[in-house]
Amino acid sequence: MNGLDDGLLDLASVAVLALGVAALWRRDVRALIGLLRAQGVALALVASVEALSAHDVGLGATAVLVLALKAGAVPWVLGRVAARDPGAREGAPLINVPSSLVLAAALVGLAVVTGAPLARLSSGHAAALAPLGLATALVGYLVLVTRRRPLSQIVGLIIIDNGVALVTFLLTSGVPLIIELGGSLDVLLVVVVSATLVGAMRARIGADELDELEELRD
Amino acid sequence: MTAYGLSVVQILAVAVGGLLLTGLMAKVRARAEGRVGAPVTQPLREVVKWLGRESPRATGGALMGVVPVVLLVTTALAAAIAPLAGVGTAGAGGADALVVVFLLLTGSLALALGGLATATAFGGMGASRAMTLSALTEPALLVAVAAFAVPGRSMNLATLVRYSLAHPAGVASPSHVLATVALLMVVVAETGRMPVDNPSTHLELTMIHEAMVLEYGGRDYALVSLGGSMRLGLLLGLLATLAVPWGVAPSDSVPALGLGLVLLAVKAGALALGVALVEVRTAKLRLFRVPELLAAGFVLAALAVVVGVVVR
Amino acid sequence: MPALVLLAPTLAAVVVALVPPGRVARAVSVAAALVVLGGGVVLGARCAGGRVEHALGGLVRVDALSALMIIVIGAVATLATAAMGRTLASGTDRISRRRAREYGALVQVFLAAMLGAVVAANLGVVWVMVEATTIATTFLVGHRRTRAALEASWKYVVLCSVGIALAFLGLVLFYFASAHTGAGPHAASLDWTSLRRLAPHLDPNVTRVAVGLVVIGFGTKVGLAPMQSWLPDAHSRAPGPVSALMSCVLLTVALYAILRVKVIADLALGAGFVRTLLLALGLLSLAVAAALVVAERDLKRLLAYSSIEHMGLLALAVAAGTPLAVAAALLHVVGHGLTKSVLFLGAGEVHHAESTTTIAEIRALLRRQPGLGAVMAAGLVALAGFPPFSLFASELAMFRAEVAAGLGWAVGAALVALVVVAGALARTARGILLGPATPVARPVPVRALAPLVAALVACAVLGIVAWPLASLLHGAAGVLG
Repeated sequence: MNGLDDGLLDLASVAVLALGVAALWRRDVRALIGLLRAQGVALALVASVEALSAHDVGLGATAVLVLALKAGAVPWVLGRVAARDPGAREGAPLINVPSSLVLAAALVGLAVVTGAPLARLSSGHAAALAPLGLATALVGYLVLVTRRRPLSQIVGLIIIDNGVALVTFLLTSGVPLIIELGGSLDVLLVVVVSATLVGAMRARIGADELDELEELRD
Repeated sequence: MTAYGLSVVQILAVAVGGLLLTGLMAKVRARAEGRVGAPVTQPLREVVKWLGRESPRATGGALMGVVPVVLLVTTALAAAIAPLAGVGTAGAGGADALVVVFLLLTGSLALALGGLATATAFGGMGASRAMTLSALTEPALLVAVAAFAVPGRSMNLATLVRYSLAHPAGVASPSHVLATVALLMVVVAETGRMPVDNPSTHLELTMIHEAMVLEYGGRDYALVSLGGSMRLGLLLGLLATLAVPWGVAPSDSVPALGLGLVLLAVKAGALALGVALVEVRTAKLRLFRVPELLAAGFVLAALAVVVGVVVR
Repeated sequence: MPALVLLAPTLAAVVVALVPPGRVARAVSVAAALVVLGGGVVLGARCAGGRVEHALGGLVRVDALSALMIIVIGAVATLATAAMGRTLASGTDRISRRRAREYGALVQVFLAAMLGAVVAANLGVVWVMVEATTIATTFLVGHRRTRAALEASWKYVVLCSVGIALAFLGLVLFYFASAHTGAGPHAASLDWTSLRRLAPHLDPNVTRVAVGLVVIGFGTKVGLAPMQSWLPDAHSRAPGPVSALMSCVLLTVALYAILRVKVIADLALGAGFVRTLLLALGLLSLAVAAALVVAERDLKRLLAYSSIEHMGLLALAVAAGTPLAVAAALLHVVGHGLTKSVLFLGAGEVHHAESTTTIAEIRALLRRQPGLGAVMAAGLVALAGFPPFSLFASELAMFRAEVAAGLGWAVGAALVALVVVAGALARTARGILLGPATPVARPVPVRALAPLVAALVACAVLGIVAWPLASLLHGAAGVLG
């Protein structure tokens, strides 16, 4: 790998994390979907830089797949759900935005500490970036648990998945293609399933703030 | 040029430059809104005019006499030690980022106390708002500067600038970019510009800085507004120096320092222009949304530190 | 043979999706389940001695453990599909007919995914299949489309997807560690056999993080506390046959994945790490189940909490890790599968007949519906761990093996939880079975009860003589040893 590749890899990986954090900041559901799209592009960039520098055709195919799926299909599906409810905003998250941002900063620190053994095991430049992927996953988890709208929760779920994918690309240049294919397909299906559920809940209950779903309690 | 000479030049540059930058920003805003606007030197002339006037003081005014002095002295000290035109300032060895932030914070504290001194409603309100925001901006400022310090492993501003002068490619690193954005957000908040505070309004619902200085008059007011402008000049200068260090003189030769001074003026002017243009296009945030912006700045700064540590 | 086992439910899914709901669809569903059961028995006979069968170009690998899981899946699937008939036939309008088709097909997809998970040679494929079960069951949980059902399936899909994402991260770290063993990057693999060969050379620091993530990730799907909160909702809102499949096999399929990973982790880290992790999760699950079961008012939720309790017991046995403990745990999986599916299907019949599963509203089943009442009574007795049913034998064996492994204190804690749950079961049994008789709404036909009785008999036989399974159980424990 040469310096330009390293620089691009740095920039794209940081972009994945920064876009994840931005999802904690924005409230407009459609802005969130836009963030996801940008994150998908950054992720595909990571995969393609790795593929080019390793001359790995399988990884190149994965990069195309990631682009099609995470920058194309997934935001499209979510966008269609969001279009039925224009102007939807995350009203009052469980933790307010400033606190969740500060919490996110702490989580990023935690990820770096946890990820240290990973960076130590490999001498490569890419492996050193792996903690950023862990951090993205943790931030996605924060989005998931603090947001009340189903759609924002799906966004959190996909951010987690993007973080895991980032770790995958950085550490191992991708797992075998068949697993990558299966995993990607599963992500798409989960999105479709959840989107359908959101539609059904809206039709059946008329409410889509999960606050109002409190029938099941221990 | 001796170190003390450089420091004096920097103080003067920040004082005059700050006033001119304030004027420049007002001018840019006026032009962008289709007005002619006051000349760029207007704030400078106003300060000179008020300096010659007597200061009326309300009850509890003793403190109001002290506040402008504290504000000016702390800001001038920070301007003296920070590497703006050259790294060889007097006390450069003590120009730790913590010291500079401490000096700035002391100024803010003095202003807030002054706002409380007269026990008027506006002063207290402004002081309370300013301190609330300050609780978020100061840590963010510190963390953002720390992010710049990661590559050189030193919080000393002079060492830090020397390091990044020696490694020019670092300016394009993700950590540097993130830290720059974070510092920009902090500077906007610290200097009371839009979308955090509107410097040109006296509407009780929104004003922060102006509410604290409402009671000052004459020479006191001149000093307070000079102090405010100096903060603007200092922060923009620091941002320019940290983000794009090229031109800061590593030696103490006069031509290099002269070039450094000119480049500093150009960089700070460009930043002011940018901030003013953004101001024209943005609406002021509601007060309780401001913490979100500042927290975003904080998290960006923290990210910059982490990325700086991780990416090597 | 392994390919046939996978093919049967896949084909059945296509057929059920295409033909109108009714007798044909029902017969095809049950036939597919029987093929799986039969295939499992044949594979079990072949693999008990330690033989390993490969198929589909090495993607499929069946050893004694896989064969045992296939048998459990086949047995529970047979019970569930037999009971599903009435759901499939119900409703005559177009929408409910379409939904019935979806339902039947998704159950088969669900079965195929679980079978795929237990026969896959590659841990990555295991992961894909477990994730596929989440997708299939989400719609099954929400099948009734009521507010509570939709809420339950939302909770289910979100929590399990998070868990499964963590598990994937863990597997990626395994892959990463396997690429840095000194054997060169080309040795990198998620194939279980290769990983086991590489295990002693895996970097312990990375492996520790990886194992933690995998255990917590798949543990979510097992329903171990503190990741259990989806389980009672999903189990109580799903139709009876789906609850049976989820509680009896889906949870154990996820546990199967943990078992496979544990083998590698123990080789790489020594036995202590996974043992501590599983002990903590298992004891917490027992505590949570015991605490929540006491105040439970819904029959199906009660059964769900009992599932959490049994998963906790299994986690303890796996933590002990001796061949005897593992063999006992696998017998427990079989026994729990049979007993709990009888109870969930019985609860489904109760729901069908009485239109409620609230314990306080069900009365005098023994007099009003003697057949169903007797089945439920026997099932509850079996679940509480009384002889002659096999849960008694397996619990006893697990406890003895744990004490032998030096976990006597954990056994003490588990016994307390066990007594609390048994008390709750006894109270429930008294509430729903006894009391003054009132007129019968809809009697349950004998045809629906016959499979349940057969399952209970099988459970009792296994409790008295373990011979039909003994060699297979020991073979499976040997795979993990």
